[in-house]
Amino acid sequence: MAEISTIARPYAVAAFKLAKEQKALAKWSEMLGFATAVLSDAQMKAFVQDPNVVSSDLEATFLKVCGDKLNTNGQNLIKTLVEYGRLSILPAVTSAFEELKAQDEGTLDAQIIAAAKPSAAEIKDLVKKLEAKFGKKIEATVSVDEEIIGGIKIIVGDTVIDASVKGQLQNLAYSLSA
Amino acid sequence: MQLSTSEISELIKSRLENFSVSSEARTQGTVISVTDGIVRIHGLSNVMSGEMIEFPGNTFGLALNLERDSVGAVVLGDYEHITEGDICKCTGRILEVPVGPELIGRVVNALGQPIDGKGPVNAKMTDKIEKVAPGVIARKSVSQPVQTGLKSVDSMVPVGRGQRELIIGDRQTGKTAVAVDAIINQKGQNMTCVYVAIGQKASTIANVVRKLEENGAMAYTIVVAAAASDSAALQFLAPYAGCTMGEYFRDRGEDALIVYDDLTKQAIAYRQISLLLRRPPGREAYPGDVFYIHSRLLERAARVNEEYVEKFTEGKIKGKTGSLTALPVIETAAGDVSAFVPTNVISITDGQIFLETDLFNAGIRPAINAGISVSRVGGAAQTKVIKKLGGGVRLALAQYRELAAFAQFASDLDEATRKQLDRGRMFTELMKQAQYSPLSVSNMAISLLAANKGYLDDVPTNKVLAFESALHGFMSSKYKKLMEGIESSKDLSGDNEKAVEAAIQDFKATNAY
Repeated sequence: MAEISTIARPYAVAAFKLAKEQKALAKWSEMLGFATAVLSDAQMKAFVQDPNVVSSDLEATFLKVCGDKLNTNGQNLIKTLVEYGRLSILPAVTSAFEELKAQDEGTLDAQIIAAAKPSAAEIKDLVKKLEAKFGKKIEATVSVDEEIIGGIKIIVGDTVIDASVKGQLQNLAYSLSA
Repeated sequence: MQLSTSEISELIKSRLENFSVSSEARTQGTVISVTDGIVRIHGLSNVMSGEMIEFPGNTFGLALNLERDSVGAVVLGDYEHITEGDICKCTGRILEVPVGPELIGRVVNALGQPIDGKGPVNAKMTDKIEKVAPGVIARKSVSQPVQTGLKSVDSMVPVGRGQRELIIGDRQTGKTAVAVDAIINQKGQNMTCVYVAIGQKASTIANVVRKLEENGAMAYTIVVAAAASDSAALQFLAPYAGCTMGEYFRDRGEDALIVYDDLTKQAIAYRQISLLLRRPPGREAYPGDVFYIHSRLLERAARVNEEYVEKFTEGKIKGKTGSLTALPVIETAAGDVSAFVPTNVISITDGQIFLETDLFNAGIRPAINAGISVSRVGGAAQTKVIKKLGGGVRLALAQYRELAAFAQFASDLDEATRKQLDRGRMFTELMKQAQYSPLSVSNMAISLLAANKGYLDDVPTNKVLAFESALHGFMSSKYKKLMEGIESSKDLSGDNEKAVEAAIQDFKATNAY
């Protein structure tokens, strides 16, 4: 069984290449975001999953709901997805597309978790260091979590830099019990 | 469990001293699904094949499948507490087990944790369970014998130090008995033994351990147990863990013997893991690399030369060769050696000891089929005296089998044929040996000499074993010096041979059997 992200990748890559050619990355991002939002509606979800709905009806209804928010290319993507019975993977296509877009723009999303709210200067300093480490522009989101006791934890993609007191205590616990 | 407080405090102190507070970057992933001990993980972009993955609750897994968007890992131990969405981390380490002399006399699981209730192992070192076997340059030819103490094995299919000799046969043919007897006979032979039990009943394993204890064999034996109730992952890993423990001795210029009991179960455990990982099945539903799991394991059994040992120990041990002898066990179904796993392992090993149900039921125990059992390298390593005297056994048995088939049709046979049949019958009887009673080289030599020189020809077949044991008793009480001489030189000089013959005649005159 292939993973959903594996199935979604060719669609996302196709959409990304087309968007790049047309220099319409922002528009595509917006379209995909909107279509995903439409799909996440409970009523729509039930409709998509209903086995009694004919694909032509599904296609027409979905496009009607989206209205003029989708251009012809966007509509074609939806039509293709419906034709292959893959409309449900649209959220995965969107996230894969956003990943490609971020990669292209050279930006990385970083999640900074701190025990106490860091000052703006501290964040700026941290982002600068992260940018040097990863060689890309960092878009940081900062959140406060008292659970980590002290220090900070940074999550960039699937890389984690754990400098929190909680993480250190956990490591100590493992090294003692190992 | 008894623990001394100072020991624990010291342990904790050293661990606290060595604990470094650092924040290194590690990759993490999210659990997508947990099915029958197999976890699929999204993320972990830097994971290595065979790397340990850390799950919540101090549980570890082994990354086996690296796919484009996911990683397939097998959990070592309980997996019920792992749920979808859990975060798991790379550790950057390959699975390691404790190694060293501290393990001797202990029963451990596939991860090297003690399961015999005798407290912590306190091993000073750990080592990776998957290692590359020594290359051609590091090796030396097999030239020293492993005495199994079984007449039929030592005379017909001799095993050398560093050899891989397969023990193959149906269920209930005495495969484990041959292996356990070989371990018991290593007392005082400078050999550390590792017994790896894979997929056996816990009660069977406990029985083997008890027998080893009773015979004083646990003083030089490590038992690695992955019982049938343990997870498939542990059953798959146990042979590699045991091999690493044995390699510790090989690499330090010592000799070790490892028994894998049995590799069929390991292949079945690996098949289970592979199918759950959705790898394509092949012949008998085994995955494509089932040959490789056995070849890479058995290649590690080797005799290494002095230079390798010296280099490995950084000059501390000079002029000594090390060896790891492997006795893998394979169980066949209805004597079918052309099944997938048996053919694979037969082709990997340096010979096989073939055990048969018919022989076993006919009372010929060990039930070794002399016709198809071979040792491809052991001849060069066979003890001199056994080589000198045991050469005739194989021939006599082969001729006997050939004639026995014909003799069924003819009622009256000529004298020569009848004599040959009698001789074959006598040798078949002589090759019988009770369990847990290995013979010393000198005793074995006496028995073989008596048979070769015709001193057993006038002994009734059903009295052969009684004659043998009485002869051994007689020799050890009356001709102690002579026996000790044979035992230490492992050879039989012309004078000694005459002395032994005279002694046997002396014994026969007493009629004590």
